[in-house]
Amino acid sequence: MYDTIIIGAGMAGLASAIYASRKKMKFEIISKEFGGNLMFSGEILNYPGVPKATGPEFRSIMERQMELNGIRVIEETVKAMEKSGGGFRVIAGKKTYDTKTIIIATGSIPRKLGIPGEEEFAMKGVTYCSVCDGPLFAGMDVAIVGGSNSALMAADSMKNIASRIYMIVRDDRLTGHEYLIENAKKNPKVKMIFNSEAKEITGEKLVSGIRYVQLGREKELKVKGVIIEIGKVPNTGLFRDLVNLDEHGHILIDCQCHTSVPGIFAAGDCASGHEYQYAISAGQGAMALLKAAAYIAEREGG
Amino acid sequence: MKKAASTIKVYSTPVCPYCHMLKDYLKQKGVKFQDVDVSSDHEAAHEMIQKSGQMGVPQIEINGRIIVGFDKNAIDAELKKMS
Repeated sequence: MYDTIIIGAGMAGLASAIYASRKKMKFEIISKEFGGNLMFSGEILNYPGVPKATGPEFRSIMERQMELNGIRVIEETVKAMEKSGGGFRVIAGKKTYDTKTIIIATGSIPRKLGIPGEEEFAMKGVTYCSVCDGPLFAGMDVAIVGGSNSALMAADSMKNIASRIYMIVRDDRLTGHEYLIENAKKNPKVKMIFNSEAKEITGEKLVSGIRYVQLGREKELKVKGVIIEIGKVPNTGLFRDLVNLDEHGHILIDCQCHTSVPGIFAAGDCASGHEYQYAISAGQGAMALLKAAAYIAEREGG
Repeated sequence: MKKAASTIKVYSTPVCPYCHMLKDYLKQKGVKFQDVDVSSDHEAAHEMIQKSGQMGVPQIEINGRIIVGFDKNAIDAELKKMS
């Protein structure tokens, strides 16, 4: 019987694992992949303790920290989870894990537009990661769909690469951190297109344009790249029938990372904090583990 | 006569996590490869896109085949053919 099973090895899950290891708990951390969203950041400047790191650099830092703490991530996808006896059962790969508590730290994935051309042109000019694929649009015109932080960061990351950067923004204004908005406004390559909804991505073998509607009028831009940054969707489909979710699909937690089910905790992007920041994921990962440990101690007559 | 092993080419960009993972994987296996940075070498970027029809990184050219993304199984299969 495990003390805890941690599902997800992004910042939140890895933080939980550090605490679990140092408390000598019997645990496993199971994740489809090591690292999560932190790998895809261009430059991380706001994580307390790490003045400056790229996504891949941060990944290396976390790998070293796991090594130092003797933590090994099981690279498997969790297929199912259920209540069992007084605890829970987690099924991943070909194994079943019986555990007293669970920490859900499954993170978030990019939201899709759901428009024609989006799937067809994936890897052919459509991307959700300006940091990874942006450099391929050198000297080209690109469109960024979105108007908040991640869209603004994408515009910033493309400023020395693209020729023209169109921002297709649904609202009548940008939303996000002030310094990012300022950077975008100062950038001569950026053209803001407000009150607009992307309708279709067009092209032949590769992307060559994007159609949109602005205040009822259909328009088109000739671009070779479309960077979609319209927010994140929490990875919580698997837990829908087990724990309460909010209206956006995030796992509802209190300030101590308890979910609606005693013994199940959640941390990071998948939970209801609604602020997608590594510092918050780390804090919640630690909180979730400490509360899981407290839960176990209480039940075992501590 | 044994055919000489063709060069393995990895097309990548500097801050792409899967590019790092792919290159680390090859280094771990002691596999030699040509590291092409398509963020600075625009001609190579164009060549890569022409060859594969895909605008994404990483891409690895091995045994005349292009594999897009860090696809361990496909890469292992090609590496086996070379030995």
